[in-house]
Amino acid sequence: MKNKTQHIIILCLAFLIAAIGKTQAQTDSVENNSKVSKWEHNISVGFNFGGTTPIPFPNTIRKIDAYWPAFAPAIGYEQIYHFNKKWGIGAALAFEVKGMGTRAEVLYQQTIITTDDGGTFQGIFSGKNETKVFNTYFTLPIYAVYDIDAHWRVKLGLYAACLVKSSFKGSVSDGYIRNGGPLGEKVDIDHATFDFSKNENSFDWGLHAGGERTVGKKLAVAADFNYGLRSLFPSSFTGMDFSMYNVFLTLGVRYRL
Amino acid sequence: MKLHIACFCVCAVLLSQSCIKNAPLSPEADIVTFTIDTSLTTGAVFIDQANSKILLYLKTGAYETGLVPVITVSPGATISPASGDSIHFNTDPQYTVTSESKEYHKTYTVQVVSVGNWFFNFENWGQNSTDKYQYPIEPDGSVIWSSGNPGVALSGVNKDPQSYPLRATTDGYQGTMGADLVTLAGTPLSNLVGIKLFAGSLFLGVFNSQNAFTNPLGATQFGQPFKGRPARFTGYYKYTPGPDFQDKNGNIITGMTDSCNIYAVLFKGKDRLDGTNVLTSNKIVATAILPEGSAKSNFTRFDIPFQYVSNADLSGDLMITIVASSSKNGDTYRGAINSHLVVDSLRIINQ
Repeated sequence: MKNKTQHIIILCLAFLIAAIGKTQAQTDSVENNSKVSKWEHNISVGFNFGGTTPIPFPNTIRKIDAYWPAFAPAIGYEQIYHFNKKWGIGAALAFEVKGMGTRAEVLYQQTIITTDDGGTFQGIFSGKNETKVFNTYFTLPIYAVYDIDAHWRVKLGLYAACLVKSSFKGSVSDGYIRNGGPLGEKVDIDHATFDFSKNENSFDWGLHAGGERTVGKKLAVAADFNYGLRSLFPSSFTGMDFSMYNVFLTLGVRYRL
Repeated sequence: MKLHIACFCVCAVLLSQSCIKNAPLSPEADIVTFTIDTSLTTGAVFIDQANSKILLYLKTGAYETGLVPVITVSPGATISPASGDSIHFNTDPQYTVTSESKEYHKTYTVQVVSVGNWFFNFENWGQNSTDKYQYPIEPDGSVIWSSGNPGVALSGVNKDPQSYPLRATTDGYQGTMGADLVTLAGTPLSNLVGIKLFAGSLFLGVFNSQNAFTNPLGATQFGQPFKGRPARFTGYYKYTPGPDFQDKNGNIITGMTDSCNIYAVLFKGKDRLDGTNVLTSNKIVATAILPEGSAKSNFTRFDIPFQYVSNADLSGDLMITIVASSSKNGDTYRGAINSHLVVDSLRIINQ
């Protein structure tokens, strides 16, 4: 996982450097073009669709029975500085929810639950799992902006996000857990709940990529893809034996102020 | 346009990572069923999964001639010696089950359980190897007593004998070892399944962990094979109720005082009773119940005659159980935390 993360970071940096490099090569021509306003201010409203998901899927997840996006609004304010007609650099401040629900079937999934009083339970679970995630973040993306033509714009960069409020809850049902590990005694479970809200990392960061198309003079429809590169839970968390990442697409509109 | 293509490639690579993979090979290596000719038994076979034991209750002839068990194991697992091979009891027979994944091996020991002497002093105790809870052992090494401890072990308590509601004490009758039963508060994990209190329990029988969450009363299985006609149930106990009686939801009920429970039940058949029917089953032939379970600061002797049902029929197979609890209503998770019961020198006296 670390290797892949490094690759993606390098890829992003490469794009940014390319963008800035190209910008400087073209600076002269921009400064002569007085019609282009250097600063652009936008507000955006949209909804997040996606998931908090293990990447890659572990083989202990056998089937996704259901998936539903949460009501996950995102509002933001964006500033772009244009170096020239094509290239610019942008940053935004967004207040957004990343949430979803899934029902999955798992087999032999390792879990170690540590309780507030210092007790622990370790085992492997086979059965059904329902998880509901509803996290609120303050997000700051920084990205290179490229205007393909009068209508189309693409962006690529990174985001950093602060967790404001977390919720990661769910239940396990119709299965069994083995006490300690594969050789432990089997204990049937018809329903039990879990709440890992307090265990989440308070900071997230990742890749930010977007595209938008103008639909009128001030309005654009926009799609922004945010791919988390930091596991939702710290490595010390053992409730699940795999890492999960925020992978969300914001669909919305952008209004130019 | 190069950017477009690059973005698309990145997305495609990421999405391709999120697919359902091939199922893992099973790591499970259980003996699931162990079937023997019931004409050879005095009680139903019990597979103690927590301690990897097959407990058999045999008639004398079967012990001498050996048995041919039919065994089933976890899907894909293999067993050695094979199902259908005969076993003999000159040594404790062992079975090794290998998981489908070949990674895991579980070795079961077959033990023939017999109760010769119905007089229990709780001088010898064993300890579960992984969860560290204690259980009484008979002088001949057999295990006939059980408790709620294997269930409490699933609730994330510290792996220490003193974290469990049943443990050995050196404060038994006349300064010997005894059985110490304490009502403990539930854990954050047990709260998730609605259990806010663990009563200390001790009983002749077995604990079936598989039902511990779904049907906790069904997990406590009462009874050991018995021969004869019991006349009296005797023993010593002392009891201190905890300060605050609480209901199932953990609310303190003012004015209520906890009480303990000690009784013996004789019943027909080879199948055990459980927490749902141990005092109500129509298989019951006789009971001996401590009339009241109030505080007793010093060891107090009890001597209770068995009350037989009218037309009691003692032909065929019989089982008997002794049950003690530090909270009488512990089966419905009501009681007082820190209620403390010590029992010792329990005895069933035949006519």
